[in-house]
Amino acid sequence: MKGVLGILDCHNSCTLGELTADRPLASVSFLGRYAFCDFPLSNFCNSGIDNVGILVKEHQRSILKHLGNTMSWVNNTKMGKISVFYNEKGQVNPSYNTDLANLKENDWLIITSGCKYIVIQSADVITNTDLTPFLEEHIERGESITSLYHEIDDADEQWFGGNEYEIDSDNYLISAKPNNGDHKKAKVALGTWIINRDVLQRIFDESAKVPSSWGLKEMIGYLAENGIFNIHCAKHTGYIRRIDSLQHYIDYSFELLNRDVASQLFVPERPIYTTTHDTAPALYGEDSKVTNSFVSNGCVIEGEVKNSIICRDVKVAKGAKVSNAILLSNVWILEGAKVDNVIIDKYSTVLEKHTIAGDKDNHIYIRQGAKI
Amino acid sequence: MSTKLAAMILAGGKGTRLLALTKKVAKPAVSYGGKYRIVDFPLSNCANTGITCVSVLTQYESSELNTYVGNGEKWGLNGVRSITSVLTPKQTDEGSNWYRGTADAIYQNVDWLDRVDPEYVLILSGDHIYSCTYNEMLKKHTENKADCTIAVYEVPWAEASRFGILVTDDNDNIVDFQEKPKKPVSNLASMGIYIFTYKTLRAALLADAKDPDSEHDFGKNIIPTMMAQKKKMVAYTYSGYWKDVGTVSSLHEANMDLLLSGDPEINLYKVQGDNKIYSEDNHSLPQYIGPKAVVKDSLVNQGAAIMGSIDHCVVSSDATVEAGASCKNCVIMNGALVKKGVTAVNAIIGQNTLVDEDVNGEPGDIALVVNGKAGK
Repeated sequence: MKGVLGILDCHNSCTLGELTADRPLASVSFLGRYAFCDFPLSNFCNSGIDNVGILVKEHQRSILKHLGNTMSWVNNTKMGKISVFYNEKGQVNPSYNTDLANLKENDWLIITSGCKYIVIQSADVITNTDLTPFLEEHIERGESITSLYHEIDDADEQWFGGNEYEIDSDNYLISAKPNNGDHKKAKVALGTWIINRDVLQRIFDESAKVPSSWGLKEMIGYLAENGIFNIHCAKHTGYIRRIDSLQHYIDYSFELLNRDVASQLFVPERPIYTTTHDTAPALYGEDSKVTNSFVSNGCVIEGEVKNSIICRDVKVAKGAKVSNAILLSNVWILEGAKVDNVIIDKYSTVLEKHTIAGDKDNHIYIRQGAKI
Repeated sequence: MSTKLAAMILAGGKGTRLLALTKKVAKPAVSYGGKYRIVDFPLSNCANTGITCVSVLTQYESSELNTYVGNGEKWGLNGVRSITSVLTPKQTDEGSNWYRGTADAIYQNVDWLDRVDPEYVLILSGDHIYSCTYNEMLKKHTENKADCTIAVYEVPWAEASRFGILVTDDNDNIVDFQEKPKKPVSNLASMGIYIFTYKTLRAALLADAKDPDSEHDFGKNIIPTMMAQKKKMVAYTYSGYWKDVGTVSSLHEANMDLLLSGDPEINLYKVQGDNKIYSEDNHSLPQYIGPKAVVKDSLVNQGAAIMGSIDHCVVSSDATVEAGASCKNCVIMNGALVKKGVTAVNAIIGQNTLVDEDVNGEPGDIALVVNGKAGK
């Protein structure tokens, strides 16, 4: 889609503890094969948006490694482009390192892109969304800003810290406030905004009047509440999950082992793209017992695996037992070892006959490169 | 431009004995090992050798294979100093011809070779399964100042009479070539992999093209003629895993070679060795193994969903084995669907094939089911 710039916003993601100590949420492994950023990047690609910027807040090495030559998410490899937007100044002053400041800092990239519309998607929200109808509606109605929202009825259990919206009968935003979890029904903001290029310039101007720690999320509420812009709210339906805690990362991962849930997120007409590692298919041994699990290529499974998510190049040796676990890439579970209710980060080894057992509500996390 | 070593991959053959599997695709494009097409192997070998000039010569049912090879991007052969060409028979000033033999296919593309101006030319077959680099072979060729180096494979003596056999002296110089000899005096079978010094090859091809009695074949014409001309011919012995799959049974067997059971020296990772085999990425989910599934001694690619039972099987991407279905000793190609309650034994199930009734092959007589009905 010409004239549209997609922006992946990595600024508003929550921390998942040690799992995000050295990497942004955007490049955290999900479901064995993906990183969270694959979902918004695939949404852009599947909506024909080939010019994309990524607002990186920190740990850019991890995300750059995942992006590779960036061509995994573009339709046309000549015209398609994925640029990293990085706010050098923000590193000195982390509390002012907001998405808005990053956009301002890299304004020149936006101007030279020649785009008329900017579609921003947040890295912490998983959807499989065709953005085209939202863009078309935005353009047809002549809106300045469109913000996507989703209706949930368990706001007391999820979307913590994310914004919820009060919307008038004409679908314009009245006010935005963080979900504090004290009620069930809510219209929650996806962190997906369609903003006209000239409007973004005016938002930059307005930002001089508000605290420098405010990002786009706060700014959208401010603009509506002060009548500076009408914020059109468009309803999103379909699969949606926001990663707002480590427990939800675990829950939402395991939830997708249910085929009915997975088929809502993964639809044949809009594949989720990711970078390929050219790993060989997975091999299973003669005594392997595997049930209810996702297994990635490159794995050699000779032991037992159940209710688990196994990333690339994992080895589960004979007599080893893996259950309710998320094993990131290159983890080795040696002979006779048992792991239950754990998350094991990359390149770790659980030695022969060792047992690591967490419980359902309290998964044990093993750091990258550990030998246990 | 000029290059040291250009590779030409002969990929025009039909593979008649693969029956329905090659009805609509050329043999090099046939699915193998859950993830690959056979041609991924020679192409990855070229990439792993560091060859930057590769052409794939296609003829039979070439559209799918041509599309697949494309610009060589899947094997990284599209770098700034690389060239990957798909060369099909063409209309020329002198008329139009199909490729009349392996040597004729190269002869008809001498222009391409002249343009890339190689010092040496590597001739490969697009339907061999093996993982290696050609550096050692090239080293042997250059050190011996050979005109032609032929890769050979030690076959069991009992089978030697089925192959083109090379007889060598103590210095690996080829002293005789026998096509399917009744009483073989050597067990070194030609693999159909050659390195030629380009100047010599060029002259040999031009002369062969003018010979009305020639079948324009490397094994039958070019090599014997060069032998007669006392050219320097050297044998290079290859000892890794190597398969030339000709029949449904041998394709099945080559798939099963990749499993962990059987010969402990042969499985997917041993076959692959130190080099990756590059292939297409199909944007599928990781493979899903269902709550009641039984997965034993198998190789499964991403995108597959195993809800039933598989034992001693190779399963490609996006293939589904429904709950209650049971597959044993089967190759299940991409997009195939084995329905609930069905039992499939000793079989190859083709691409997008729907299996809704039992399939019973025998270990010595592998069943082949191809119908393209899945997902329709």
